[in-house]
Amino acid sequence: MRASLSGRLADAVLALAALALLVHAVGFASPYGLRVLTVAGVYALAAFGFQILFGLGGALSLAQGAFFGLGAYVTGILGSRYGLGFSVTFPLSLLVPLLVALPVGLAVLRLESHYFALATLGIAQVLHLLAVNAPELTGGANGLPGVPGVVLFGWAVPRGLPMAALVWSMVAVGGAVGWGLARGRLGRALTLVRDDPMAASTLGLDVGRLRLTAFAVSALFAGAAGALAVHTQRVVSPEVLEFPVMVSILTIAVVGGRGRMAGAVLGAVLLVHLPEWFRALERSYLIVYGAALLLTILLAPDGLTGLLERLFPRRARPVPDATEPPPGRKRDGEALSVEGLSKAFGGVHAVQGVSLTLRAGTITGLIGPNGSGKTTLINLISGLERPDAGTVWLAGQALTGARPDRLARAGLARSFQAAALPDGSTALEAVAAARLASDRDLAAAESHARWALDRMGVGELAARPCRDLPAASRRRVELARALARRPAVLLLDEPAAGLTDSEKADLAARLRALAAEGVALLVVEHDMGFLLPLAGWVVCLDRGRTLYEGPPEGVRSDAAVVAAYLGGGAP
Amino acid sequence: MRRAAFLALGFLAALPARAETLSFPVLVPLTGFLSLEGTSQRNGAVLALTEAAAKTEVIDTGTSPEAAVTALERAAGNGNVGAVAASMLGTQMLAMLPLAAELKLPLVTVSGTASITEQGNPWVFRFFPGDAVTKTAHARYVVEELGRKRPALIYQTTAYGQSGKAHLEPAFKALGAELVFEEGVDPAAKDLLPVLTKALAAKPDVLVLHLHSGPTALLLKQAAASGVTLPIVAGSAMHQPSTAALLEPVELKGVCAETAASPISGGSPGMDAFTASYRAAFGKEPDAFALGQYDGMRMVLAAVRDGATTADDIRKALAGGSHAGLAMTYKSDGKGNMAHSAVIVCYDGTSRVPALVKRYDDVAGVVK
Repeated sequence: MRASLSGRLADAVLALAALALLVHAVGFASPYGLRVLTVAGVYALAAFGFQILFGLGGALSLAQGAFFGLGAYVTGILGSRYGLGFSVTFPLSLLVPLLVALPVGLAVLRLESHYFALATLGIAQVLHLLAVNAPELTGGANGLPGVPGVVLFGWAVPRGLPMAALVWSMVAVGGAVGWGLARGRLGRALTLVRDDPMAASTLGLDVGRLRLTAFAVSALFAGAAGALAVHTQRVVSPEVLEFPVMVSILTIAVVGGRGRMAGAVLGAVLLVHLPEWFRALERSYLIVYGAALLLTILLAPDGLTGLLERLFPRRARPVPDATEPPPGRKRDGEALSVEGLSKAFGGVHAVQGVSLTLRAGTITGLIGPNGSGKTTLINLISGLERPDAGTVWLAGQALTGARPDRLARAGLARSFQAAALPDGSTALEAVAAARLASDRDLAAAESHARWALDRMGVGELAARPCRDLPAASRRRVELARALARRPAVLLLDEPAAGLTDSEKADLAARLRALAAEGVALLVVEHDMGFLLPLAGWVVCLDRGRTLYEGPPEGVRSDAAVVAAYLGGGAP
Repeated sequence: MRRAAFLALGFLAALPARAETLSFPVLVPLTGFLSLEGTSQRNGAVLALTEAAAKTEVIDTGTSPEAAVTALERAAGNGNVGAVAASMLGTQMLAMLPLAAELKLPLVTVSGTASITEQGNPWVFRFFPGDAVTKTAHARYVVEELGRKRPALIYQTTAYGQSGKAHLEPAFKALGAELVFEEGVDPAAKDLLPVLTKALAAKPDVLVLHLHSGPTALLLKQAAASGVTLPIVAGSAMHQPSTAALLEPVELKGVCAETAASPISGGSPGMDAFTASYRAAFGKEPDAFALGQYDGMRMVLAAVRDGATTADDIRKALAGGSHAGLAMTYKSDGKGNMAHSAVIVCYDGTSRVPALVKRYDDVAGVVK
């Protein structure tokens, strides 16, 4: 009740702030005030796209400023040189950055973290060089003056309130689109990609395509903002492609609150107004501006929206009713077959010529001492590593070396040694992520996630943040996530680690139930007391090779297995 | 000092009370890559306005067109503006022009680059010779006075550099000299020896520079260290005392530069008085940008003294009148180009104060 009240208070604070801004703009703002507000709107629009790419997707693209500049130049060149109007230049200012972003994104999005940031910075540098060194087209370092104002249906939109209203109308539309994307499947999938791209791919999400989509969407927003910036300045020059524009967008996203559209608006309004408040201090204003910025970040490390949420926590969303997801494709007999699989890391042969078969409705145990290649083997099967040799057949399809998301969509699910759940998500959200690739919308995904949580006996934890869950519950939630995919083959990496005896017994019962439904399970485990009664077949690895393969009863009596576990001197 | 006080008192006494109702905002780049030149501009404007006890406010425009337009909008809302001392950065001026026309406010600037006076906007007045003037003087000095016919040009890949190059090329051609080498360098370049080596490999008989302050000093330092004995004629950035301060006097030996004026070189009692006042007020050496802005604001204030009560009155006075300033006599060519003279200054290798060696008056031309 209290959380609900404070959540409404937070909404009221934001609504009041928006109303105050509107009243100020319509009734009291000077032309200067309206201009600053207009510029803030332009930056808010650019920051919306960045919130999707960087805030949700975690990709620190330094090309957002470049796409802003590209949109600006398209409007500037077409308007100034060819006299084209807003109705033509504005759509093209969105289209050109998009067309540039797609091939560029394909090339650079496979890079990780700082390499990606540097590559995107390079894009900005190339565009800046082009702008400066192609004066016949761009006007060179001086830029192009005489960009016409916005003309809508024959009406030349004057500066001041009409222009501010136009820009903020676009902010409203852009914000609604961005909010919809952030709250929908794309936003949820991008968040998972940001937090754990490996887990995301094993849940069937095409990480590359998601990042490319976010990159393209961010370019669209940046292009729109650049076009409006040029219409407010009436001149386009290389400054729109320079690093300060990018820094402004990044700062707006961070100060406003990563991934939040409201954060983009709050950040833009604050960041654009802040220097203006201190401008009269001449060059000293930079010191005051910097100090004010630092103070804001110290007081609100999660941004202004994060601060609001801390002050006025929201009530948890109601948990949906459970709906059983449609069953996956099940085959009788052979579900997964691995033949002669090998993988070496430099001079270390982690897996050497391993073959095994998982049959539907069976549980196979995979054991071996530390470093024997168990995790590498399931990484090879699930696509996280590419084999040097050998084949993988899944449900009758040859999928050797296929990407994890393709294998996941073909019916493979897996868990990790350390339960890979995003700390910031609730258990329901974490499990619903497994349905994003297959369900039509988020509501369906969450309803199916609730079913999986119930199946694993943790339905009552659905609204709890993953970071607050005890170890045993985290294991179950992770299993629920794998189960939610309705897999034909389930690979579990040490699922009983850290569990008490009663929790292990409960887990074993649930795994048996899954097998009874036709799922083929491969369970990596060190705890023989847990595994041997559970598995119908056991494979033991040592130094990457198959040491033993047979019924569990034979494990304890196999001299080679005992020697591998206990040392060469063992009987 | 006494002369400066006399100048100021005389101007004050002549200024009618109505000037107090008008304000003269100073919108210049105090931060960013042009802060050195922008500060000179600020100081020149502020000195003129302070001497006349005129109302003013200083707003930093940074180096973005957006900030300049916002600053203009802000200044326009802060009272009855008579004229604006506006940024010397060409791109900022181009952005401010449409708004100035809409607000009907005269912009008084020392921007030498960008075709700001070619936009058909009657509200802009340039109190610094444009590149059409200075680059003609630059080329003429190289060819006519030094007798050199094989110049090598090193310029900056900025608006300033590109504009200079665009004017130097035809100027040399018209004088019968062909550039044997030309290359643009980024202002962030930390080593100019490669471009200098390439330029020397083209066997020039003179090095012509059109670089910003820091790169000018760096190239001259590296040329001196490399034992280059060719004459070097640099762009206006070299005349700035702040540029010379980066070099030892011996490194400046034989170096010349074009500029609108060199206040520290003296030349008249009025110039000496200005330099003394400037030093007293700001603790720095004045340059041509400070003087140009000072002269420009003095012409504005003179218009007020002569009866101008509105911004439009001031515009008319600037467009139609002439003003005997300290650097030169200013008169509009009909487009707002007020300055038509340039000078060449040279360093003798014993001090950082250059001597005025050549003056070019009434040079006409169109800024590209």
